[in-house]
Amino acid sequence: MAVRAQFENSNEVGVFSRLTNKYCLVAIGGSENFYSVFEGELGDVIPVIHTSIAGTRIIGRLTVGNSKGLLVPSSTTDQELQHLRNSLPDSIKIQRIEERLSALGNVIACNDYVALVHPDVDRETQEIIKDVLDVEVFTQTIAGNVLVGSYCALSNQGALVHPRTAIQDQDELSSLLQVPLVAGTINRGSDVIGAGLVVNDWCAFAGLDSTATELSVVESIFKLHEAQPTAIVKEMRDSLVDTYI
Amino acid sequence: MALYNFKRIQPVPAANDFLDIVLSRTQRKTPTVIHKSYKIGRIRQFYMRKVKFTQDTFEEKLKAMLEEFPKLDDIHPFYADLMNVLYDKDHYKLALGQINTARHLIDQVAKEYVRLLKFGDSLYRCKQLKKAALGRMATIMKRQKDSLAYLEQVRQHLSRLPSIDPNTRTLLVCGYPNVGKSSFMNKVTRADVDVQPYAFTTKSLFVGHMDYKYLRWQVIDTPGILDHPLEQMNTIEMQSVTALAHLRACILFFMDLSEHCGYSVEDQINDFYQIKLYHNIKPLFTNKPTFIVINKIDIVRPENLPVEQQDMLKEITEKDGAQIIQLSCHTDEGVMDARNIVKLKGQKINDVINKIHLAEPQARDNVARPPIIPEEVKGRSLFNINDPNRRKLERDLEVENGGPGVYSVDLNKLYIVKDPEWKYDSIPEIIDGKNIADFIDPDIQEKLDLLEREEERLENEGVYDSVEEIVDSEDEALRNLATEIREKKKSIIQAHRSKKMMKNRPILPRTVKTKSIEEMEEQLGKLGLDTSAVRARSLTRKRKRDDDGDSDHMDIDRSPSDLKSRRLGLSVTRDRSVAGLTIGQQKQTAKYRKFAQRRPNQHAKAGEADRSIQVKRPKHLFSKKSSIGKRDWR
Repeated sequence: MAVRAQFENSNEVGVFSRLTNKYCLVAIGGSENFYSVFEGELGDVIPVIHTSIAGTRIIGRLTVGNSKGLLVPSSTTDQELQHLRNSLPDSIKIQRIEERLSALGNVIACNDYVALVHPDVDRETQEIIKDVLDVEVFTQTIAGNVLVGSYCALSNQGALVHPRTAIQDQDELSSLLQVPLVAGTINRGSDVIGAGLVVNDWCAFAGLDSTATELSVVESIFKLHEAQPTAIVKEMRDSLVDTYI
Repeated sequence: MALYNFKRIQPVPAANDFLDIVLSRTQRKTPTVIHKSYKIGRIRQFYMRKVKFTQDTFEEKLKAMLEEFPKLDDIHPFYADLMNVLYDKDHYKLALGQINTARHLIDQVAKEYVRLLKFGDSLYRCKQLKKAALGRMATIMKRQKDSLAYLEQVRQHLSRLPSIDPNTRTLLVCGYPNVGKSSFMNKVTRADVDVQPYAFTTKSLFVGHMDYKYLRWQVIDTPGILDHPLEQMNTIEMQSVTALAHLRACILFFMDLSEHCGYSVEDQINDFYQIKLYHNIKPLFTNKPTFIVINKIDIVRPENLPVEQQDMLKEITEKDGAQIIQLSCHTDEGVMDARNIVKLKGQKINDVINKIHLAEPQARDNVARPPIIPEEVKGRSLFNINDPNRRKLERDLEVENGGPGVYSVDLNKLYIVKDPEWKYDSIPEIIDGKNIADFIDPDIQEKLDLLEREEERLENEGVYDSVEEIVDSEDEALRNLATEIREKKKSIIQAHRSKKMMKNRPILPRTVKTKSIEEMEEQLGKLGLDTSAVRARSLTRKRKRDDDGDSDHMDIDRSPSDLKSRRLGLSVTRDRSVAGLTIGQQKQTAKYRKFAQRRPNQHAKAGEADRSIQVKRPKHLFSKKSSIGKRDWR
């Protein structure tokens, strides 16, 4: 189930939301349209929570989390932290971390088992990621970009990475993450996958500009709606080639 | 598609209409009233304008025509060839060439008559000249009657050509007449091509489009081709051949084994016409994916054919690698399969190979990493906003409570707390001057102790030591480098600033500044250059110029005055006003000059050519009356 959404005329849904298998954070906007897109799909299954981080709406870029925990940057206020604690189930650990690279969503990409981090992230922070999110941590770059969180979207079933990732890198990343992986675009050719797409194990939200082909790649690689990743190299191959050439 | 849109060519009027248009435009757009008592210059100008305007209008119209019609050398070879087949290239080029010539002739006529008009001495003559000019232009245009008529026909035909894009993915349907090409076309696309049970129903190219797997395909239906040499083919057949030759397309060669098309598969001398045709036009299929489509299988299937014909078919598939597809447009059998089999091979696939690569993980351990999907979402479809029984969303609440900007969302609603009444409890942020967030954890002290103990343990184990050291030495090197860079930058900026400040000060040129040899040596030494040559140069005493005691040159006899004049001749600039005059003559000329200057001097002129008139009544002298002694400046 891949859904198109837009936050106040911006297609970068990944900037304004954070989606995991156990909860979903959504920025507080001028209207409830964006929130209700998430609420409609997920509201009866997992908590969908309004929040701001450090008074800003770019919560998707500032936070990182999975079904075990949530990391927020040091700039998060006490009130926001308390709001999150009250809203999230007790099983989810929340940790505010002192990290120079405070846009955690940009520098960390994770699913429930593995996390990729920016090479400059502190060792202490890496330890905290390991403990709180209960994941294996690897320092990595994606297609030469250190902002791993911006240039990929991860779930436990698949990964979509920057369109210029070399085949070797793709294979390497795939083996690290232990999920099938494909390079592609979102939002009609945008390469900032993390900003254009949020995904968990059964649901994906992409920017309103995303093409049908892009969405079908998303559905296949993340196995949404019983789609299979192999479709990308079988049925969809020709149309993909045609869109890219 | 926009590249080859011939529909936008403006209609070409017939010769007479053309004249009417141009002449009435001249009449409307130029002045019409003239009188013989006007100045002759004005009369001439009036008629010249008429002639020029008419010529301009002709020029404009003809030029537009020449530009709009496609130039056969510039367009895609498919269209060039098609136009050659349909309109005859020579004829077309000739027509356009004649129009161009007419344009030049009209231009010349206008020039000639404008020149004559300059000498027109009365209104009557000027008018006659104008009449003659327009008359000649009209005659030239009338002679183009045939070309214009031909071009108009070409234009009409061009605008009705199907808009075939030669560069997109294309299926090209070809074969013998009456084998079911158009029927297939009607089945797979929405084009409505006329289908009749006789040969050559389709007399020109038709284009249709179909969508398959998110992609748009162009399907081109061609007229049937008979099996005879290229020279004997008619215009209708040649269109097919043109398309086959120039379009990079996937070829569907249609065959009718049932002989219902009227062209016997096998006649008296046991010749298989349709296969022969295939072999004849095969050169046009090179490098294009080719499929043999056996149509009308509701009547005859290839399996039911005589053995020798089956062998012929087999030979094609084996030799040329053409694939055979069977279908029947009558019963729809196989039509969709045929459509789906046909594909074009990608060319630039290597550029995008990384985007159609699916990286599959290689297991690195035995840990299972299952997805975490709640039971209730399995097999559930998308949330439907139009469902009347759907859950009430935050958005609905917003609309009910005044819409965006008015409604404020209830953040506490979803709190997960033991007692639902606690949800809206207000919690102070600061109590007794202390931030309660710092004390929110009851066993914070315990946790801190635990952490400290762990840290101590790690430190004792020496986890941090080794790493830190390496980092230190690396860091230090880096820091040193950074300081160096910073200092260098600073000095560059300083130098630049001081240079800028110099602008407002008197600057001694470099040539004036004296620098001692020592300074020079020091400077060069700093730069790491060898300074011995500097000192050596200043120490050597050079031979003087006159001192040619030990000269190696050959002796030449020269008088001393000769030498002197030569030296002077090189250096002195001479007054040209006295050049070539003896001293006496010079004096004479000076006298004449003085004399000639006397008159201009009297009139305060620089010379004969000085025509300037100074202000005759200087304003300040005449503007106001004032009695003596009122102004301090006069």
